[in-house]
Amino acid sequence: MIEEGQLDFIRRLVFKYLMEDYMPFPVNKTSCYEWANGLNIKKGGETILYTGCSYQLASIGQKFDDFLPKIYKIKGIESLSTFGKKFLKIRDERAIKILKNISLLLKKANVDFGYLYEDEPYSGTILLEMGMLEEFKEYGKKLIDLFNSHGVKNIITVDPHTHYTLYRLKELLSFDVEIKNYLEILSGKDLHSTYKEEYVFHDSCLYSRFLGMRDVIREVIKNAGITIKEDDMITGKETSMCCGGPLAPINKEISEKIAKNRAESLKTVSKKVLLACPFCYVNLSPYVESYDIAEVISNE
Amino acid sequence: MSDWDIAIKRGIEHNIPRVYKVLKEHPYLEDLARKVREGKIEVLSKLDYYIDMTMKSVESIGGKAYFAENTEDVREIVGKIVGTNKKVVLGKSMVAYESGIRKYLQSKGNEVWETDLGELLIQLADEPPSHIIAPAVHMTKERIRDLIKEKLGVDPGDTHEDIVKVARDFLRQKFLTADIGITGANAVAADSGSIVLVENEGNIRMTTVVPPIHIAITGVEKILPNLEYAMNEALVQAAYAGLYPPTYVNITSGPSSTGDVEQKRVSPAHGPKEFHLILVDNGRKKANEDPVLREALLCIRCGRCHFHCPVYRAIDGKMGDPPYSGPMGAMWSGIVYQDYKPALLCSHAGNCREVCPMKINIPKVLEYLKSKYFESIRKQ
Ligand code: SF4
Repeated sequence: MIEEGQLDFIRRLVFKYLMEDYMPFPVNKTSCYEWANGLNIKKGGETILYTGCSYQLASIGQKFDDFLPKIYKIKGIESLSTFGKKFLKIRDERAIKILKNISLLLKKANVDFGYLYEDEPYSGTILLEMGMLEEFKEYGKKLIDLFNSHGVKNIITVDPHTHYTLYRLKELLSFDVEIKNYLEILSGKDLHSTYKEEYVFHDSCLYSRFLGMRDVIREVIKNAGITIKEDDMITGKETSMCCGGPLAPINKEISEKIAKNRAESLKTVSKKVLLACPFCYVNLSPYVESYDIAEVISNE
Repeated sequence: MSDWDIAIKRGIEHNIPRVYKVLKEHPYLEDLARKVREGKIEVLSKLDYYIDMTMKSVESIGGKAYFAENTEDVREIVGKIVGTNKKVVLGKSMVAYESGIRKYLQSKGNEVWETDLGELLIQLADEPPSHIIAPAVHMTKERIRDLIKEKLGVDPGDTHEDIVKVARDFLRQKFLTADIGITGANAVAADSGSIVLVENEGNIRMTTVVPPIHIAITGVEKILPNLEYAMNEALVQAAYAGLYPPTYVNITSGPSSTGDVEQKRVSPAHGPKEFHLILVDNGRKKANEDPVLREALLCIRCGRCHFHCPVYRAIDGKMGDPPYSGPMGAMWSGIVYQDYKPALLCSHAGNCREVCPMKINIPKVLEYLKSKYFESIRKQ
């Protein structure tokens, strides 16, 4: 278990980065929006696609979970952020492909949306998930101001954590926007997948139990012609387990053990796992063959 | 696989399908659970009034009632009733554990025995419990066999039945010669002063009836408005723990009595001549004033949330400060020990909230406790 000093260090550091640059870690911001290059998505508008940088930062975030607690006693480490922000460019090809797929699916469904590009902020998920409610509210105000300054009225989210974070911002502060997840928008649409294998679907805890999207997602999968196998004790609403992701900054060992446990039980249903969350992917993919839903319901 | 992984896997495979089966076969249990929640909310909204009513009711049926502000008070009250050089049998009570009663009474020269089989194993191993209703859930049967061999000098053999038989023979002697029986209470009826205890082993029945003195120690949040609610609580607790119908439900209303001589109610009869009820605060009243923490006081200790929690399953029984473990334990560590760190282990999977019979929004309580943790370190 992480020590008090380490936790406080992470708290201060992450909060500082967020307040300075709308990013939780000192990485170059291009990492966040380069997926949209060449797609001709207009900048801004009342309805925007908002990635919250979740997919883009998921794997680097895992490295920071390892790294931050180790460096907390090094003097002056906090000032290294300027260096990171300039030079630490990350490029996650898989995340890029998933986000491209999502935007193409939305276009096919005739949804009119824009994107904030370099102005797109990180959602603040990490603060909420670690339980730093005060910091979350403070960053949240900054976030709301930013969306308001762009005249945003409708937000389309692409992952459960960002979606839930916005939902909590609406609950805790006054934030007058409509939030819709891309999977909700795609439900009822006739999708077509070339992937014909059977999968087991690993529910995101947030989608399934906090956001009421369990059935909607299953409908999207079915409409794409994909077969998913169920087992009451493994994929039920009350029995399906977390991937361990949210615990990684607090206790890496337990987080990994939860991931292994989950992967093992999923494998008893099907060897191919379908999921809908960047953190579930990062946590489960070392132990089981995993695919994001946006990788298999689009033909791109 | 570690011992914990093997033991918890077996425990889950036995428990989870059984709870679903019980709830399917007896659909009225969900209604009872809703009713119990209402009754508990009623009491919590006027807690002082109901504490007072309960204490008066206990006195009116010939018992003695005490209000203990903290665990020191509990030890002092129990210490005075028990004295020294006595033989004490304990029925599993989390509040007795919270108050350190077993070790305290032992330090005063008393012989003290846990009588719940799981709790006895915990006592023999000198380890903290790992689950609220199955305290030795972390031990495999192979480990239990070795433990009994080492501590009681008898090899029980390798079946579950053999193990239970050795414990039964050992404890029977203790029940028959005990001076005092101490239990908790699943529920306390404010209108009658009765306590309700639900069990399967028969140890609580004996603990409450055989020794001449019975002490019940419980938290103030266990009060329900009347005996009907209190009975329902016991049924709901048993069902969501997966042990339904419970083998025994015990109601104790004061010391033993008889009305057989001209219908005059006379006390004592064959059971205890003294009945003491200790109602414990230890942070509960303060939690009750907080709208988020109040929810946690609705917990009926069925232990269902534990088995549905991915973290508890992975963590070797060490989520929370004993005897409080698992998701409920992370909440209760905050309430009675002001320890907010166990809440940090919540990954907000949310399964606990889905399965809780009291519909406690456990992830929300834990999120709040996490924020209290950060508040405390921010202040340093
Ligand atoms: S929190 Fe709910 S599920 Fe957990 S032990 Fe208490 S009543 Fe049972």
